[in-house]
Amino acid sequence: MAGAGGGGNDVQWCFSQVKGAIDDDVAEADIISTVEFNHSGELLATGDKGGRVVIFQQETENKSQPQCRSEYNVYSTFQSHEPEFDYLKSLEIEEKINKIRWLPQKNAAQFLLSTNDKTIKLWKISERDKRPEGYNLKEEDGRYRDAATITTLRVPVFRPMDLMVEASPRRVFANGHTYHINSISVNSDNETYLSADDLRINLWHLEITDRSFNVVDIKPANMEELTEVITAAEFHPHQCNTFVYSSSKGTIRLCDMRASALCDKHSKLFEEPEDPSNRSFFSEIISSISDVKFSHNGRYMMTRDYLSVKIWDLNMENRPVETYQVHEYLRSKLCSLYENDCIFDKFECCWNGNDSVVMTGSYNNFFRMLDRSQRRDVTLEASRESCKPRQVLKPRRVCAGGKRKKDEISVDSLDFNKKILHTAWHPQENIIAVATTNNLYIFQEKVN
Amino acid sequence: MEYKVEAHRIMSISLGKIYNSRVQRGGIKLHKNLLVSLVLRSARQVYLSDYYSGACLNAQSEREGNEWDITDSEREKFPPSATECDRVESTEEPQPNEQPEKEREYRENDDEVKSDQVDCTSTLQEQNQNSSLDSVAKVSSETPPESITEPKESPSDSAVAERDSTPEANGESHQPPKPYVCSNRKRSAEESESGDSPQKRTKVASSNAKEDEEAEEMDTSNVSNLITIFGSSFSGLLSKESAKPEAEAEDSGQICCDQMLKNLNPWSTAIVAF
Repeated sequence: MAGAGGGGNDVQWCFSQVKGAIDDDVAEADIISTVEFNHSGELLATGDKGGRVVIFQQETENKSQPQCRSEYNVYSTFQSHEPEFDYLKSLEIEEKINKIRWLPQKNAAQFLLSTNDKTIKLWKISERDKRPEGYNLKEEDGRYRDAATITTLRVPVFRPMDLMVEASPRRVFANGHTYHINSISVNSDNETYLSADDLRINLWHLEITDRSFNVVDIKPANMEELTEVITAAEFHPHQCNTFVYSSSKGTIRLCDMRASALCDKHSKLFEEPEDPSNRSFFSEIISSISDVKFSHNGRYMMTRDYLSVKIWDLNMENRPVETYQVHEYLRSKLCSLYENDCIFDKFECCWNGNDSVVMTGSYNNFFRMLDRSQRRDVTLEASRESCKPRQVLKPRRVCAGGKRKKDEISVDSLDFNKKILHTAWHPQENIIAVATTNNLYIFQEKVN
Repeated sequence: MEYKVEAHRIMSISLGKIYNSRVQRGGIKLHKNLLVSLVLRSARQVYLSDYYSGACLNAQSEREGNEWDITDSEREKFPPSATECDRVESTEEPQPNEQPEKEREYRENDDEVKSDQVDCTSTLQEQNQNSSLDSVAKVSSETPPESITEPKESPSDSAVAERDSTPEANGESHQPPKPYVCSNRKRSAEESESGDSPQKRTKVASSNAKEDEEAEEMDTSNVSNLITIFGSSFSGLLSKESAKPEAEAEDSGQICCDQMLKNLNPWSTAIVAF
């Protein structure tokens, strides 16, 4: 398609595919916990609570049917992490995949990092479509031939075989974190990456598994004085010395690794003064940042807290340049959302390819597209009812109070068990992957 | 008074969450427990402020000194004075404290300058006028059941609240210097079930709750230390290696917290999922 993923609301989104079980009874292991496109957009990886990674591959375009965009089909499935037990602390370590990050492709194989609460693994995904045949000393099934029966010599050759995709763990980065890992981010130098837990951020080299450098440590000497934790961290897309981390207090700190080895002292602190009129018991919870993402051009970063999305200019620390309300109608429901734990949901956010539109999820399987250039927003729904091929998604509206218009949904009818926490946008095209609890929806731009 | 009920309810819910987090798979989640502890602290401050106002009205000032085993710094926050009580009632003035960001909750918000951010922000102000009890400052004008769509909870809460004020001052003198909040809640929880006098209940509680196993080893010392932020009030939830050990308070606090925690279960089942 033409364009680099631009245009938010003159784009009409239509259904492309849905992956996952149909029945409403969701097995806990099938709950999707992370979604990530690779750098070319050809591969789409999902991680789930059962520790599995499923990779989908975009089929090469069918020239005869240009309106039918290429589909994503299962490419590889593997068990990345298993449940573990920490005997020292009598703690079970969940196998849930918290994050997947792809490495830029350097050769024929693909590499990704996947992490659970404690351990990061580097996986190599490679294809095998030929195998050697014609060994002299071995039969085809591997048994050794009797040397006495060999009368001639031949050169083994490669013969084509059915495509086999293999995933093998190449590195295991273990024992680097005392607390739960919430983020990993590959550096633009393609040699190092960072991993962040609640209180510390470590810098690893992709080749070295037995040690890492601690670059940020916010653990207080006395844990009683703990007031904030690290919630997300990311490297700058171009500057290999710069990374940011967000906190549960709603602040973002930008650190420069050239300044010192230990980046406890930030280079920039991004914080917006709190609106005192919105104070409540739950002000702290809803100001906690759940995700931080740099824009592709590296000039902006986006943060997601419970009710809003904020875009920050890296050169302006005292307030965001844009703020978008995701579901402001929930502000009056915070107490109920606290009781049912929904207030702790960690929504992610993502940019489109040219940084003109941002997307984030909400409840009732709604997700929001926020167009920065046109200052418009739309709410769409990922549901099995809009699953006809190329069916255009209809904008949804939530009625906050008062008279409910036709086609609107009232706040009280929202299903808070259907939440979209993870979304991903193809780096170049208008293709989005939206994860509901256990299904993955793929939507594409409507092509006329 | 409604905000006291609300604060009380939020405290119970928060403690329930902290309690449940210890048995959750994957270990204690530091982030969530930190947030819950912050909510708990805010609710506790509201609850305390109301306690002080109630105590002032009952002229129980001499008992306040030894009833509550709170630190001096916390006591600073709630100087027992008539004007303070009035202020709390009108929820206008912030109480003197070390953490201004929490106390600002109680300020009158109508006169605050509304910061106008960017075009994209919705009109928070209008929505705030209509918003619920979550903003404590609005408590005086709204009642809890309106905002929280779980009316079946308020009867039990108000029943609890009604009995709260009276035996608070009476029962305290019979107990050793105990975590006050624990005591209140234990009493209120048990009052809703039986009409016994505070003295009897105390003895019953001491003999019953031998389930010291409730005070399970904290999986990480982090959360146990977080709970020490609230002072000795919740020492019952700590492991034996708590940072501020107060031996007898710990045991009795542990017992009363156990009682309270046991009583939390029927409440939590009453909580309607959204």
